[in-house]
Amino acid sequence: MNRNFLFSGITFYTLMVYLFLYIPTIVLVLFSFNTVAFPAPWQGFTLHWYYELYHSPHLWHAFYVSCTVALLSMALSTIMGVFFVFYAIQGGKVEEFLLLFYGNLIIPEIVVAVGLLTFFSLCSIPLGIATLVIAHTVLGLGYVVPLLYTRFRELDYRLIEASLDLGASPLQTFFKITLPLLKPSLVAACLLIFIISFDDFVLSYFCAGSSMQTLPLYILSTARTGISPVVNALSTVLLVLSSALVLILCSLNARSRIF
Amino acid sequence: MRKLFESVLPFFLGAPGLLWQILFFYLPLVCIFIMSSGSFSYFYPFLNSLYARVILRSLLLAGATTGITLCMAYPTAYFLAFFAQRLKTFLLFLIILPFCTNFLLHVIAWFFVLEQHGLINTFLLNLHIINSPLQLLNNVFAVILMMVYYYLPFMVLPIYAVLEKFDYKVIEASLDLGATWYQTLARVVIPLTIPGIQAGMFLVFVPAFGEFAIPELMGGDTMMFVGTVVSYYILGSRTAHLGASFTLISVVVLIISMCTLYGITEWIRGKR
Repeated sequence: MNRNFLFSGITFYTLMVYLFLYIPTIVLVLFSFNTVAFPAPWQGFTLHWYYELYHSPHLWHAFYVSCTVALLSMALSTIMGVFFVFYAIQGGKVEEFLLLFYGNLIIPEIVVAVGLLTFFSLCSIPLGIATLVIAHTVLGLGYVVPLLYTRFRELDYRLIEASLDLGASPLQTFFKITLPLLKPSLVAACLLIFIISFDDFVLSYFCAGSSMQTLPLYILSTARTGISPVVNALSTVLLVLSSALVLILCSLNARSRIF
Repeated sequence: MRKLFESVLPFFLGAPGLLWQILFFYLPLVCIFIMSSGSFSYFYPFLNSLYARVILRSLLLAGATTGITLCMAYPTAYFLAFFAQRLKTFLLFLIILPFCTNFLLHVIAWFFVLEQHGLINTFLLNLHIINSPLQLLNNVFAVILMMVYYYLPFMVLPIYAVLEKFDYKVIEASLDLGATWYQTLARVVIPLTIPGIQAGMFLVFVPAFGEFAIPELMGGDTMMFVGTVVSYYILGSRTAHLGASFTLISVVVLIISMCTLYGITEWIRGKR
């Protein structure tokens, strides 16, 4: 009796939390199919806003910039992360260095952004794609290094020792044994960094300069001027895209446990 | 020669990551310090009034966000870990999805719910509960609502990760031995899941303290928070040094308050 009461109570509570999470999103998606702009009620079904979205040059440019930055910073931070773990495997004393990467957790993103901005202006580096990639790579490193290192620590070390005993060089062992074992975590980390960099707002806002516009900055500029249903259409497309990415992430998660 | 090569090579491969982190994470923090040097004196007259109030307001906002998300996230994570069964993967997916979509989309989505002609007002007007639309945007309520909405997944995921590994038999044992549900929760489950709560606290409190886009978009320009002040100073043409010193002051406050929060949770854990 008591247990059933608790069970139904928690179920109801969870249902409420999920409704809170999803009602706004559902409204947003619904209104992207409405024939008239928002303050008016529902009129009829249309795909006009998607058509308009497809033909918006600014949007495509912002999308292109976001993708470039996300891919570059993903590649950079993953490669550096993997080599850092390689160094750890070769018996490097990394425990102290590893603490350096946890700084990203304690220092808020806005402080990092302010720091990078003053750093760039003190060194008179012009803001643009390069500074964006630098900033997002720092963000990515903070995720990928602790993640890969923890997964590496959980590997069966006997496999690596066996490989070394049987005459493989450290490099061979790394590429034929360690890396394949770490592959699920590696793919998951890549995906996570891509998503984080693609959605990042704070660092982009400070480090993009006036000429560059990533997708979040584009959305902000349109949201400030008043919401047209084109933004709804864009949001729906982005939601579908990130659902696809998250589905891949969730299926990987079973093996690599990043959450 | 080969031996030397193999012992030095790993270090040079590992070095770029370290170098990048030091060059573009720690050096910029030093740059803030250099930039701010000499301008602290600007803040002495204000420290007990305007700026102190901004910092206090940000602390309160971050604290409220952390508290509310914790209250919402804990039962949800509990449900996910112990009762969800076959729906678990799908429900987890629904939690991760907002975490991985841009927060501006969520801000826009809430506009549709809270606006004068939005969902809530239309609903209440049609039911004749109210006669004129409520002003739901541009106030503290909207800011806190949005913060809670955005940071909720950050709190659910770490608590879920700890609860998932929790042995349900421990709860059953506690109940069998005569503890009530309340006692079991307060003395067994919560103390054992403190690490998850601490991780969630870090993930919510730290970014919530520096948040500047949500207060600006949802709160209008009625209230200043740390993030708003910092972005205003830093992006202004001749006030960068003021922004730098204000950033430093708030980071110090943030670190002190995080240590306090951490200490409180550790105390709860120690007390059983």
